[in-house]
Parts: sequence; structure tokens; C-alpha cells
Amino acid sequence: MLTTTTVALTLAAAVLAVLALVMAYVLGWANRAFHVKVDPKVEQIIEALPGANCGGCGYVGCAEYAAAVARDEAVVNLCAPGGAGVAQALAGIMGIEVDESFPYRAVVHCSANLDQRLQRAEYTGEQTCFAANLVAGVQGCTYGCLGLGDCERACKYGAIQIINGLSTIDYDKCIGCKACAGTCPRNIITIVPFKAQHMLVVACSNQDSAGDVRAVCMVGCLGCRACTKVAPDLISIQGALPEINYDNYDPTDDILQKVLEKCPRKRLTFVGRPTEKDLAAVAEEELPESIQADFKTTVDETEWRG
Amino acid sequence: MDTLTSLVLIFIGAALINNFVLHYFVGICPFLGVSRRVDTAFGMGCAVTFVISISGLLNWTVTYFVLRPGAPLPVWVWQAVGGDPAKQIDLSVLSYIIYIFVIASSVQFVEMYVRKFFPHLYRSFGVFLPLITTNCAILFGSLEIMKRLQDPTKLWGLHEALALTLGGGVGFTIAISLMAGIREELDMCDVPKPLKGAGVALIIAGIMAMAFMGFVGVDKGVHGVLSALLK
Repeated sequence: MLTTTTVALTLAAAVLAVLALVMAYVLGWANRAFHVKVDPKVEQIIEALPGANCGGCGYVGCAEYAAAVARDEAVVNLCAPGGAGVAQALAGIMGIEVDESFPYRAVVHCSANLDQRLQRAEYTGEQTCFAANLVAGVQGCTYGCLGLGDCERACKYGAIQIINGLSTIDYDKCIGCKACAGTCPRNIITIVPFKAQHMLVVACSNQDSAGDVRAVCMVGCLGCRACTKVAPDLISIQGALPEINYDNYDPTDDILQKVLEKCPRKRLTFVGRPTEKDLAAVAEEELPESIQADFKTTVDETEWRG
Repeated sequence: MDTLTSLVLIFIGAALINNFVLHYFVGICPFLGVSRRVDTAFGMGCAVTFVISISGLLNWTVTYFVLRPGAPLPVWVWQAVGGDPAKQIDLSVLSYIIYIFVIASSVQFVEMYVRKFFPHLYRSFGVFLPLITTNCAILFGSLEIMKRLQDPTKLWGLHEALALTLGGGVGFTIAISLMAGIREELDMCDVPKPLKGAGVALIIAGIMAMAFMGFVGVDKGVHGVLSALLK
């Protein structure tokens, strides 16, 4: 005579086994029946991409971008961390020619540090630019950097630091992923093609007239148009601010220095890694025995601003 | 109480009064983890509703025919081996393992199906599907159904099981979307440092749970309205 225990155990085992077999069969069949053909190019492209998943190309991750490239929906040189090398590799996989591509780097279009920004009030609210931007009267300038570090927190590569209330970019670390540009509530960070280690940029975002700028900032651009007169092809005035047309930008052109000298407020500045000339200027100086990893040693206190 | 009234009451009960998240505190991980933005939270809610309904359907079937005490399969087997008619065999110990198994397999199947035939849908909520395979809210839905299949005199039918799971999914969507809306606003608030992130989210979840207590008693009103309408 069989007991309930024996039958229950056997039946339990049988039920599980049958269920497992049925599910295995169904899933195995579905795997073949619903198979989605993946373009072999996609895998090659994923292999060639750096895999940083930074989102700088505008897609969710490297895999999404790879799929878009393989479908011919995206151009091959969107990957900022990969730069020209990856663009070449992708072009090779897709069998197309690639235009010359430049690394993209973030540029902060404001260069007034805390003391140079006028009409500041004490702000004790939530310490983010996102929140402070909603409040009037944090500082006189409604265009410039708020200095509360949303971009610093958005940067996954540690390339941004707030130095004396101003967002400052370390061009040794920046890969141009656009994370900071997307976070800045005032949209003063743009991504610029760096044709050279050292680029001329407009370091102000204030669109107001000269008098209003003077009232809120000790250094802001007045819109005097001196720069356009020197280099009309390179610089145009948009609203009250000069805009540099990087398509016409030639890093070796002497006109850049002339523009720089003409600017009365020195709001056209060079940013980027130091040039050989800058390095030569300090070559004679004695270097300290050990250098602490300190952000400030790379970009600041030189004649050019980061 | 006729069928329609009871179905509506089961649905409202699962969605509002006994909300899975805010009354039973199941499904807390996605409730806290994916509630930063309203659109992703809503996507997650839809995916949960979808999966919980499918698993409710499958698990009701398995429970009704195999797992419940007095289910057709064990009774038939017991008779076939010539067992003592006064006793019966009960397979309900298998419920947890079989529910998880069924949920995981059906999610796999659904994922493959959606990927093949609805690529756009796959792109929008495909990422959530593997995440919710072992979401406790989904297992909880199946266990609630099992509870209603214990007493042979008042067994739940498939329609009632579906009303419960669908209501549970809708309730989850409501709760997580509300939470995401509050947390979006919270980004602009001055939250004390020790409470930032998960801390304040849990406090809000507690307050929301208390607010949802206010739905207790709504069922009586709904019942009254429905019986008046259907008369």
C-alpha cells in the first residue's frame, strides 16, 4: 500500500520535471522562432568603440550608437572619447571615407570668478545651480556661471572643478562627453571642436548691453565689436556677443593674437593645454621634487584661462 | 454580490485600498530604485502590470489544476494508484518554486516575443523586463491568488485572478508614478544632508502609505453605487 508521502513526493518531482521540460521546449522553440538577426557589423562596431557609455554621441550607450551606425542612421565620427582613431575604425567597418575629425572639448563661456561677479546676495537654498537658477537675485549676472557645481557632479571623468566660484575644466581629463553641457541650467557650457591644443573662445555669455554688463560683472564682454573689425571672417556678433566660426578657424593664423590684443576686456581667451611657447616660458624654473595631484597646477594662474 | 460587482471591487481593492506597494510593502526595490523620473517610472509600472497579469494567468492555471488542495491532477493520480479515499495529497508546498519558475520563464518568452514582433515596444520597456523577473510584487500577486484557491467551496475563477493582478499592477503604476513626481520636485528642495536620497524617499513612502489608508471604506461606497446601478 502506497503512503501519501511517497505519492506526493513522486508526483511533486514529476510535476517539476514535466514543467521544466515543457518550459525548456517552449523557450528553445521561441529562441529559434523569434530569433532576431543581429548585423555582424554591430558587434564589430561595439568592439571598436571605447565602451565608456558616456552618451556624448546622443545615444543611450555604445551599443545603441553601434546599432544606429550599422543601420546607416548615424555618422561615424560622433564618438568623442574615441576621437579620430575610432572614427577611422568605424569608417573601415562600414566601408566609407571619413572627414577629418577633431576632438571635442567642453568650454565654459564665463570667466568671472566670485569676486568679479557683482550684486551677489547670500544664497542659502539648495546648493545646486539647478535650484539657484530658479531664484532671482543670487547674483547680478543672469547669464554667467553660478558656481554651485552641477557640472562638477555631472562629470564622470573628474575634469571639472569649481575654482573660486567658477567652473573650470581640466583639459587633460576632458573627453568631450557633453554631460556637463546637458546639466548646466544656464547652458553656458558648449562643446567645441579643438583643432589645436589651444583654442580661442569667447569666455562670456552675457547678452546685455555694455552698461548692464558693467553693472553686474567686472570682466564681462561689452559687445564692443573690436574683435569683428580685426577678424570679420572668423568672428561675428550674435546679439551682443562675439561668436567664433570654428569652420574658418586656423590655429596657426597670426590673426588670433591680434584679436586677443584688441579685446579691451580680455574676454576672448585661449583655453586648453599649454602650448610649447607656454612650456618654454617656464622651462628655466626649478621644479619641485614631488608634485601633489592638485587640479590647480594644470589650469589656472597662467595668462590663459580654463 | 454578482460577478461584475465583485470584479470591480477586487480591482479597486488591489489598486487603491490594499495597494501592493503602500499597503503590503512588496515591490519596494523598483519603487525606490526606478522612481527618479516620471517617464521611466511609468514605463516600469506598465511593464510590471503586463508581467503580473501574464504570471497571474499562468499561475492561476497551475494552481487550480495542480497545486491547490483537492486539485484535479493529484486527486486523479491518488485514485489511479488506488490510495485511501479518506486521504488526499497536497502539492501546495511546491507553490513558491513553481511560481518563480513560471514567472521567470514567461518573462523570458514575452521578452523574445516582444523583441521579434514589437521592436519599438521592446526598445521602450524591454530594459525593464529582465529586471522584474523576480520582483516580489509579481510573486505576491500569485501568492494572493493561491490564498483564494484554498477553500474548495469558494474558489476564485480566472477572471477574478486577472482582476486582482491587473489591479495590483495598476496600483503599482499609480504608486511609483506619484513617487517619481514627488521626487522630481524634491530635487529643488533643501533636504537635510543625512536624509538626502533614500532617507527622504522612505519617509515620503511612509507618508504616502498613510495617505492611502484613507481609501479604506471606499469599497462600501463603490459597492452601494454599483448595486444601485445594476438593479
